[in-house]
Amino acid sequence: MDDSRNKPEVSAYRPAHPTTESAAASPVASDLIGLLTHEDLDRARDRWQVARARWREHGSKTFGGFRLLWLLIGPGVLVFLGENDAPSMLSYSATGARFGIGFFMPFIILTFLMGYIVQEMTVRLGAVTHRGHAELIFDRFGKFWGFFAMGDLVLGNFLTLVTEFIGVRAGLGFFGVRPVFAVGGALVIVVGVIATGRYWTWERITMGLAIFNGLFIPAAILAHPDWRATGHALLTWMPLPGGSRYEILVLILADIGATVTPWMLFFQQSAVVDKGMQPRDINAGRLDTFLGVLLATVFAIAAVLATVPLFHHGIGAGDFQAAQFAQALEPWIGHVGASLFALGIFEAGMVAAITISTSSAYAFGEVFQTGHSLNRPLREAWPFYLTLLGSACAAAALVLIPRFPLEFVVLTVNVIAVLAMPPALAFLLLLVNDREVMGEYVNGVWANVAGVAVTVLLVCAGIGFGVATVFPKWFGS
Amino acid sequence: MDGKAKSDHAGSNTNTPQLELTTAGSERPNLKDPSVVLSLLEADQVVAAKRQTRFGRRNLSFAARMLLWGLRIYVIAMLVVVLISVLGAIHASP
Repeated sequence: MDDSRNKPEVSAYRPAHPTTESAAASPVASDLIGLLTHEDLDRARDRWQVARARWREHGSKTFGGFRLLWLLIGPGVLVFLGENDAPSMLSYSATGARFGIGFFMPFIILTFLMGYIVQEMTVRLGAVTHRGHAELIFDRFGKFWGFFAMGDLVLGNFLTLVTEFIGVRAGLGFFGVRPVFAVGGALVIVVGVIATGRYWTWERITMGLAIFNGLFIPAAILAHPDWRATGHALLTWMPLPGGSRYEILVLILADIGATVTPWMLFFQQSAVVDKGMQPRDINAGRLDTFLGVLLATVFAIAAVLATVPLFHHGIGAGDFQAAQFAQALEPWIGHVGASLFALGIFEAGMVAAITISTSSAYAFGEVFQTGHSLNRPLREAWPFYLTLLGSACAAAALVLIPRFPLEFVVLTVNVIAVLAMPPALAFLLLLVNDREVMGEYVNGVWANVAGVAVTVLLVCAGIGFGVATVFPKWFGS
Repeated sequence: MDGKAKSDHAGSNTNTPQLELTTAGSERPNLKDPSVVLSLLEADQVVAAKRQTRFGRRNLSFAARMLLWGLRIYVIAMLVVVLISVLGAIHASP
């Protein structure tokens, strides 16, 4: 158990400042020598790899840079492939089935660009402060606002986690795997990944799983998409979607919710801290985030293209879940294509179950000042691991309860994510403009313009949804 | 994306690379030596050091407080709308 719980009152702390000072050159270096933990040693080992790659980079311009990038990518790729989760892939699939190739394809790219703008700020916050998002919110805004932010996160994370296990169950259900085995198997994988007791290993295994999000690409190719129409739609945003404006609005909201959500802010910042990234690594962190955006965008558009045959054949897919999508697609993309689609949904749920439960555990550890690192052994950070596994087990158990209103959860999860995002963005923008926290790494003018624009867009989308729900006739519903 | 304004704090000590280079050149770091571990980490990255320091509470301006309250009310109001919407959808489904 982490003894930091027996901490003195906040007033006893020395004020923190953003600094790039080496620990060895710190005035308290001699005091720290006897206090190094397992977490420090693992992080130092990772930093040595980075330092060595930087050192070699000067000798070998070609491969040194790749090695450095390989070492520093992770949080950005994971956060975006983690967000291409089961409900997100189902939203993209529903978009393709309902509207075909058109407006929504460039719109999805726009939502991912919004995601990049937001997530880049968390990279800077994590690398400069070495503190997680929840910890900074509690430190700077106090418990009152901190618990509000945590309430949004806990509710959103738990509901999303439930939908991930729905995805796991439905994806494997296509192959005839019984729900209890599908969900139980997924839990075994979650345990297996964290049992390594090392952030680096956890990150690499999860990235290895996440790359299977690309299964939607062969599924899309088997759907024989019209590439000319795809290119035209990407360049012109045409044709515009027709039909019920309420339905369009809900899909717009779901597609935004599939890309920009509160758990991503908390997860990426905590992962950047756990990885040990420093201000010198910010550009690599940006590249990592951009790589995540790029991969996730391609896979999301592949999911849209894979389900376009349903649009062409007039098959309504509004209430489809994962297995039904795969079954409905089978006549047009074949058994192999349908299997790839179902496996893709399983993978999407699996990876997100790992990342979202880790996001909850990081936030819990940061708020309650218990050990919160995947570099910590179980005995030193059992509340962290208990939160991680407890949230995953509770979500998995709900999915197995007969007659549990799964439809209710799936319907609400992405919408709740969008609605909870503006306050999360407000905290993010206040933090990243806080010179006492960020020093020279505060937001520039354009980052603020982009951040405020994303926040305003999300608020408008939410209000539009509210008006459409309260006055459905205005939207032709 | 980040601004370039200078801070009194960040980047004030630039000896990190020099300390690190000595370790980076070795084939394998001797992590049993605490000074090697410290040379690879920033001061605020060491768990014990981080426990002893905190970014204190900031004073929120009136505008910032209004913004946070406004967004909080927005979220609560919208959650009610979501509840109405979902209940409607569930009742409508056969």
